[in-house]
Amino acid sequence: MNFWEAQRKARLRTMLYVFIFIALTLLVATLSEFALRLFAADYYDSSFPLFGTAFLIVTVAVAGYNYGMYHQYGGGYVAESLGARQILANGSDLKEQQLFNIVQEVALATALPMPKVYLLPSKEINAFAAGLTRENAAITVTQGALTLLNRDELQGVIAHEFGHVYNGDMLISMRLAAMVMGFFFVLYLGLRLLQMGRFRSRGSDGKGGNPTMIAALIFIVSGAITWFVGSILKATISRQREYLADACAVQFTRNPNGIAGALRKIAKEQYHDMPQTGSAYAHMYLEDHSSIFATHPPIQKRIAAIENTPG
Amino acid sequence: MWFGIALLVIIVLIILFAVGIYNRLVALRNQVKNAWSQIDVQLQRRYDLIPNLVETVKGYMSYEKGTLEAVISARSQAIAARDAVEKGGGPTSKSIRPLLGAEAALKQSLGNIFALAENYPQLKANETMQRLQEELSSTENKVAFARQAYNDQVMLYNTTQQEFPAVLLAGAFGHHPVEMYEVEDKAAREAVKVCF
Repeated sequence: MNFWEAQRKARLRTMLYVFIFIALTLLVATLSEFALRLFAADYYDSSFPLFGTAFLIVTVAVAGYNYGMYHQYGGGYVAESLGARQILANGSDLKEQQLFNIVQEVALATALPMPKVYLLPSKEINAFAAGLTRENAAITVTQGALTLLNRDELQGVIAHEFGHVYNGDMLISMRLAAMVMGFFFVLYLGLRLLQMGRFRSRGSDGKGGNPTMIAALIFIVSGAITWFVGSILKATISRQREYLADACAVQFTRNPNGIAGALRKIAKEQYHDMPQTGSAYAHMYLEDHSSIFATHPPIQKRIAAIENTPG
Repeated sequence: MWFGIALLVIIVLIILFAVGIYNRLVALRNQVKNAWSQIDVQLQRRYDLIPNLVETVKGYMSYEKGTLEAVISARSQAIAARDAVEKGGGPTSKSIRPLLGAEAALKQSLGNIFALAENYPQLKANETMQRLQEELSSTENKVAFARQAYNDQVMLYNTTQQEFPAVLLAGAFGHHPVEMYEVEDKAAREAVKVCF
């Protein structure tokens, strides 16, 4: 695999998708502004684009609030809330010591600060990185990964997680998740407004367009479109970041067999017992199950990308 | 009058440029030094682990005295070469070659011990031995990764010196290309051979 080229491509694609994301937000804000002026001209004719601005403010505010909530918690908090236990240096268990050593090795290879290391008592092979900055990152590995992977494969998995830390992927996905939540909130606002509008229209004479109803419908339509397309875009970006992290794992370890071997073992295993309280965290897992909203690309494609790309 | 001002502006610009180059080169040299000290930490860790290994193995492998002695002498040679590098304030083209040779010899003799240990099931099952083996292979990896980081820094430092306009000033500021830490890895070279 030519990891430099693969990384450049993955980065370019992410930029494209993020651009589409922002363009989508602006487009819907503008479109609903025009729709409102067209259909409810009697009630809404302010010279300033009030509605479009309100849409932007609401999405950004909700996104900002969620983002702030995530930001308070370091990576260790996420790991502990899923029931993981921290691994410290000079532990008594040989395997755990090996895990700690490998994390130290890859930290050296990437020149990143040493993250906290956690062990999750799940039987399936999985791992994730959490924490929004390089300084408060935490890397969690399942007991299954520790038992079933050999040293090189475990190193590949750790290097993949380091790839996420290195590329700031936790920050990107948290931001995208926050934006999608912002879109959802617009949809929710529209639904509540609709209830209110119905209630009020019973009192009035019910003639012609009710401005609350029209506003509600525009909220619902614009919220639903952005939420739906946003969710798909978010998953697409997330999948690109997985390829990027795989390419980084090869760069850091100079050993494509490590991460490829680990992915092969994951493809074969039957256990699926990652904590589902953390489905909000699924995008961070090493592997997740496929669908259009899947946060990860199909595992066979990842192996092919690592092994077959001419170097 | 205007000519004087223009000249002054040009001189100030040149000075600012030179200051920029100076600072960048100093920063890069410090990064190279820091990257070297990362290697040094790991080399030292390996030197510290070896006596423990010899102690542990001694009881089991009394017949293989030669192998153990080879490791001990390779270790002291490597330490001497490392100290010579430190005395020069970092690796130079002269001091780095003996270190590379000594480290290669040490790696080889350590490999011999672990290969021999395969014949002693009790030794292999010994927990201290397993721990030492893990620590030594981890240290091995750390040396390799620290070396990668060091070489990347050296490449950046050397390239910056050779680029125009820095190339005009680098020598005057006391910067010279630094030697990379490259390992003669025969096994890795041979592995490139392709069979049909």
